[in-house]
Amino acid sequence: MSILEYNGGAMIAMAGKDCVGIASDNRLGIQLQTVATDFRKVFGLNDKLFVGLAGLASDVQTVHQILKFRQDLYELREEREMTPSVLSNLLSNLLYEKRFGPYFVEPIVAGLTKENKPFLSGMDLIGAPVYTDDFVVSGTCTGNLYGM
Amino acid sequence: TTTTTTTTMARRYDSSTTTFSPEGRLHQVEYAIEAINNAGTCVGILAKDGIVMASERRITSGLLAPSKTSEKTYKLCGHAACNVAGLTADANILIDQARVKAGRYQYDYQEPIPVEQLVEYVCNYKQAYTQYGGLRPFGVSFLFAGYDEHFGFQLYQSDPSGNYSGWKATVIGANNQAGKSLLKTDYGKTAAAASDDMEEDAADKMPTLKDALLLAVKVLNKTMDGTAASSDKMELFTMTLQDNGTCKHHILTTDEAKSIIEQVEAETATSGDA
Repeated sequence: MSILEYNGGAMIAMAGKDCVGIASDNRLGIQLQTVATDFRKVFGLNDKLFVGLAGLASDVQTVHQILKFRQDLYELREEREMTPSVLSNLLSNLLYEKRFGPYFVEPIVAGLTKENKPFLSGMDLIGAPVYTDDFVVSGTCTGNLYGM
Repeated sequence: TTTTTTTTMARRYDSSTTTFSPEGRLHQVEYAIEAINNAGTCVGILAKDGIVMASERRITSGLLAPSKTSEKTYKLCGHAACNVAGLTADANILIDQARVKAGRYQYDYQEPIPVEQLVEYVCNYKQAYTQYGGLRPFGVSFLFAGYDEHFGFQLYQSDPSGNYSGWKATVIGANNQAGKSLLKTDYGKTAAAASDDMEEDAADKMPTLKDALLLAVKVLNKTMDGTAASSDKMELFTMTLQDNGTCKHHILTTDEAKSIIEQVEAETATSGDA
């Protein structure tokens, strides 16, 4: 059993023409038992920025709360909204800070840049980022999501 | 004569923040407060449905690059903002402290920080510089405006000593005494005029936001007396509650400010101020 599979969850984000889409399941389980069917894993941080967090449920919620905290501070100091690439970098750094005791989440970031062009990124639990222009997947059935 | 004696005596107890004078005063703290009496005026007024904070914009040089941000009004979190009188550099430190504190509270409790707790935190931070470390106090006074579900809209004032108090209306910065005396007479008047409930307790009567704005400009006119009122010399800020429960922080546009200033000018002209 892997800790990243304990609660379950899968998500995908895709780029379209001047748009992005992001989707996830709503299941919260404890190994094989389903405990909730309304568990939110995708969070809209602003009109043009979404983060999907797959992994250990506790860390999904904690990382979301930390991101909210950091985003609020950024917006107060910079007096402007956070762009997807900036958030992606922030997330990557905050995950790596916990290199030897990580948050068990594997996030995906989807949004629109200032020029309204699609932005997609995914990363592992210690913040190694990958940037794509088509799609990103994360969670417990990535194989299926890739199309295997 | 008393002043001269006190000044000469005070020399020995001046330099260290952490020393009381024989009269039981902290001179460094008092000197910090003096520094603020030379700073641009800020007025704060609590209204029925919001808060108004108006401040004097001091344009020190025509060569200064037009500011993209305010040097007076700062947002601390979704439901609180402040106006600064004093050393802007000192204020920036305290504002950042307040922002982090508010963010941390929200993170810890998943709830917005009660306004007074935020004010008390900043003030406790200021107080430390009057007692420990041999560092000088912060040369800043704040007007804090905020909303929480416990006490609704609130207005607080703080000074370099770390002392704070809640107000219905107050003034800090240059000529604040003149401003305060005008508020003493006029706040009640605008409040009474705005109230349409005869049975309402006099103490609960508060002006409308619009009336508070007009009164704030009146007060600034008095404290800035000598200089003609104009929208580029004043910054008008309002905080109100939106339908969805969140707060709206709004710095009036040049046109909106002009409109208020013109209304005040018209009123003073017709009432024939002595």
